[in-house]
Amino acid sequence: MDPRFGRTEYILVYDEENDSLSHFDNREINNEAHGAGPKTAKNLFDLGADVLLTGNGPGGNAAAVLEKAGTKIYIGAGEMNVQQALEAYRDGQLKKFVNS
Amino acid sequence: MKEIVVISGKGGTGKTSVTASFAYLGGQDVIVADCDVDAADMHLLMQPDFRQSEDFYSGQLAVIDSERCTNCGACAEVCRFDAIPEVDGNYTIDALNCEGCGYCPRVCPEEAIKMEDRNVGKWYVSTIKTGSTMVHARLGIGAENSGKLVAKVKNEAKALAEKNEKKYIIVDGSPGVGCPVVSSLSGAHFVILVTEPTVSGLHDLKRVHELVKKFSIPAGCIINKADLNPQIAEQIVTYLNHEKIVHLSNLPYDETFTEAMVNGQTIIEFNKNHLSDILTESWEQIKQITNA
Repeated sequence: MDPRFGRTEYILVYDEENDSLSHFDNREINNEAHGAGPKTAKNLFDLGADVLLTGNGPGGNAAAVLEKAGTKIYIGAGEMNVQQALEAYRDGQLKKFVNS
Repeated sequence: MKEIVVISGKGGTGKTSVTASFAYLGGQDVIVADCDVDAADMHLLMQPDFRQSEDFYSGQLAVIDSERCTNCGACAEVCRFDAIPEVDGNYTIDALNCEGCGYCPRVCPEEAIKMEDRNVGKWYVSTIKTGSTMVHARLGIGAENSGKLVAKVKNEAKALAEKNEKKYIIVDGSPGVGCPVVSSLSGAHFVILVTEPTVSGLHDLKRVHELVKKFSIPAGCIINKADLNPQIAEQIVTYLNHEKIVHLSNLPYDETFTEAMVNGQTIIEFNKNHLSDILTESWEQIKQITNA
């Protein structure tokens, strides 16, 4: 996992119903001087993600976008690999992110 | 490998002097990343050798092809930044005013204007006086720091730390609460907040800690010049307790702080006194916390 949200280079999408994985190449974000978070949030919205598992969590602007999109955010997975993160989420071990 | 970010919110609290002291104490265990690129001054204390440098591009700049340009002035008419003045009868891009918005190439009937990536400065990998490595950057005139540049500096530092099996990355973080600070904090294991006992010191500490809290990163605080206003220093301590921020230390006002800087030295090297003792203790505490 990349502990960063906005400038993560890849997004891995797990489909719970079909137990299938696909990935999204987010490397274009490297060209953005500012506002990487909101842009990655938009990409996540376009992918139709219901739940986000990440490291420290999104910044204020990105969090506002995700909140409007109704995406549930879980943090604290920055040091895990993807499988560990998914298992931690299923076991309720990840912390829910609240944008205050 | 633990990433420790030092921020202050308010300027002039002694953040860089404190960061450099920890970088010196950490010696070979530490890779230093200077992400305060708008006003980078860590290099004054760490004596980097600029051994490796690379251009950094950010944003765009309009460029007119004078062969194709007929000087119709359509571009200058739409430019809301007044960045295309007529010089000696030719419309010319003023690079300092150009915001890179891309409007002018859209209206140019001759297709004589191109948007090019803007070279805003350089970033460096250096060996510093501790024998360890520092990643830093230098911006050109009028260029601004960005989340992109901070991410670049931090990612390089991280790659070097992993490759050389370093224990810590110490990041001199960006000021304020905007995009570069978000980028400085992202991925950090511990945050050191450096503040001073003034009304704005406390105010900006609260503001920047809101951000740290959002990222759920554990934090510790150093109150510099704490004895100058014991009353506000006490208010800060109350705030720290309430927010569960570790109160690392109080540094008394001491002119050796400035004298060390004037000599291009960290406080630790300059003079073995109570200041360096307190900072050494704080560094030991930070190591304990981050490795717990």
